[in-house]
Amino acid sequence: MSSPEASSTRTPSGPIRGPQSFYAGLVLLAFTLFVFWASKDLPGGTMKSMGPGMMPRILATGLGLCALALIIAGLRSVGAQLERWSIRGPVFVLAGVILFAFTIRSVGLALAGPLAMIVSGFASPETKTKEIVIFSLVMTAACVGLFWYALKLPIPILRIPGLFNI
Amino acid sequence: MTEMFSNLALGFGVVFTWQNLLLCFIGCMVGTLVGVLPGVGPIATIAMLMPLTFKFEPVGALIMLAGIYYGAQYGGSTTAILVNIPGEATSVVTVLDGHQMAKQGRAGAALGIAAIGSFFAGSVATLFIAALALPLTKLALFFGPTEYFSLMLMGLVFALVLASGSILRAVVMILLGVLLSTVGTDGETGHDRMTFGITSLSDGFDFAVLAMGLFGIAEVMRNLDNVETRDVVKGSIGNLLPTAAEMKASFAPILRGTFLGSILGILPGNGAVLGPFASYSVEKRMAKDPSRFGKGAIEGVAGPEAANNAGAQTSFIPLLTLGIPPNAVMALMVGAMTIHGIIPGPTVMTKNPKLFWGMIASMWIGNLMLLIINLPLVGMWVRLLKVPYRLMFPAILMFCCIGIYSVNNQYQDVLAIALFGLVGYGFIKFGFEPAPLLLGFVLGKLMEEKLRQALTLSRGDLSVFVTHPISLVLLLIAAALLTMALSSGMAKKREEVFTE
Repeated sequence: MSSPEASSTRTPSGPIRGPQSFYAGLVLLAFTLFVFWASKDLPGGTMKSMGPGMMPRILATGLGLCALALIIAGLRSVGAQLERWSIRGPVFVLAGVILFAFTIRSVGLALAGPLAMIVSGFASPETKTKEIVIFSLVMTAACVGLFWYALKLPIPILRIPGLFNI
Repeated sequence: MTEMFSNLALGFGVVFTWQNLLLCFIGCMVGTLVGVLPGVGPIATIAMLMPLTFKFEPVGALIMLAGIYYGAQYGGSTTAILVNIPGEATSVVTVLDGHQMAKQGRAGAALGIAAIGSFFAGSVATLFIAALALPLTKLALFFGPTEYFSLMLMGLVFALVLASGSILRAVVMILLGVLLSTVGTDGETGHDRMTFGITSLSDGFDFAVLAMGLFGIAEVMRNLDNVETRDVVKGSIGNLLPTAAEMKASFAPILRGTFLGSILGILPGNGAVLGPFASYSVEKRMAKDPSRFGKGAIEGVAGPEAANNAGAQTSFIPLLTLGIPPNAVMALMVGAMTIHGIIPGPTVMTKNPKLFWGMIASMWIGNLMLLIINLPLVGMWVRLLKVPYRLMFPAILMFCCIGIYSVNNQYQDVLAIALFGLVGYGFIKFGFEPAPLLLGFVLGKLMEEKLRQALTLSRGDLSVFVTHPISLVLLLIAAALLTMALSSGMAKKREEVFTE
């Protein structure tokens, strides 16, 4: 969470008065150049028969103009500060999702589900270990019931080599 | 007129099967649930549940998904009244007077009038859709690629004007959305566009992946940053049935709200969000004593709630008749229809009359179910509100993972929602709202196709867009709106409603 001083507008020191707009513009400008590079080999065609490259380049041009407008706005008028990126939330949320991706096929939902939930649970400072462990097991059991038993989705449930392969 | 009723009768015949009634019920319940819970929106929910509907008949699947959307409008107001947080974006206005009523011990009356108003509005909107469907579908027959392109452009301009926050930032989001839609094999020439040799990208970005990443995962990260305090109204909710005097005071506001909401809901570009605001300011202006507003005036709950529900339903009109989604939820419905092999547009009604009228009839049934289910179950929803977010979000994440994995049984899709989640978090941190991106993404492919067709027909002459009269009118409306918005008249007015 950003502190109140960081998100409010305060008197700027230096040429960048609206950092949020300014840096958003820079990122967009970089992305625009990337699109031009990525679509450089696509034929543009003519107005009568547009080629695959025309639309991306028209859009990238528009995006580039918006990026410039954001940069100029960031230089000219006082605007919002950059928001603080929190580390804990995104790291654990994404870690949970990524772990699920890599474990679902090898061990199945019965293990991948609780793993993803417990790991992502640490994204919040309020999480209590015992509570999340129990809750994740209950939720996983409910999901197995819903997705596998009721909806019959072909999702791996429990895979332990030599023991289970459901 | 008689045709309309025979069509509706056909629709009711479709809905009245055990399976479809059950799906309608599930949709409404799930919708209410996500509406009640702040931090879980209908966009993420529909994205999560879409894969599960693959196995159902298309009618049943769409009935359920539609139920989630309008069910969420009902649920959103419950939270607005009891917790002072809008459960959904459209119930922002309900917070103003609804929560005040709750504090005065009139929560039951507020909930009751919201439900009655919503039911009335929902019923009228159902008739409205049925009545407008035929003429609009006939109108669509006059639409060539030129007109379609202009119409979609107008829709995007509406979306810009109505987007929260800066117009420039909304333009960026729409352009990015359209740009993302160009990735993949070019439909006309077969060229691979910006796929960098990744084979799974040759079909383009997967819509479900994009929606779930930007709205499911990124929302969780956003919510974790903003610690919210829920102050659930304590004590009794009071009698759920409004008194005769309250009913009398609410009657006209409900009528006006229904009218405003229905009209605004048809507008392309998420006009439905305007309904509650418009209704609230109308009621306040017409009131004998405007100072009561903000202090628990029942008119301030009845009108906006009716408008909100009417708008949610009539926003199906552009989708069902013209095949153009007016907001992000409808964009998801396009995705759901396409998965079932139905191409949204004027042909749905003629080729799939059972689906078309079944869906419309289901809305009325759904509204009736919501009215009957919700009021007695209010206690259950209140208890649900006490489930802390620290438990909710891991469950949401697991649902997203299972949902997206079951679409194609590919773990890469799960990785992709993590990636788009991070991208979405970045958007939020830089002050961009991702909803217009989704709309741009869905309209993008269609727009490019129509633009190319139009230009091929006109032999590369761009002036067709202003020489075709319908197209000209649509573009003029778009231009007028944009000018109005840029001269900041509308943006300010919208904020006034909040500050007033």
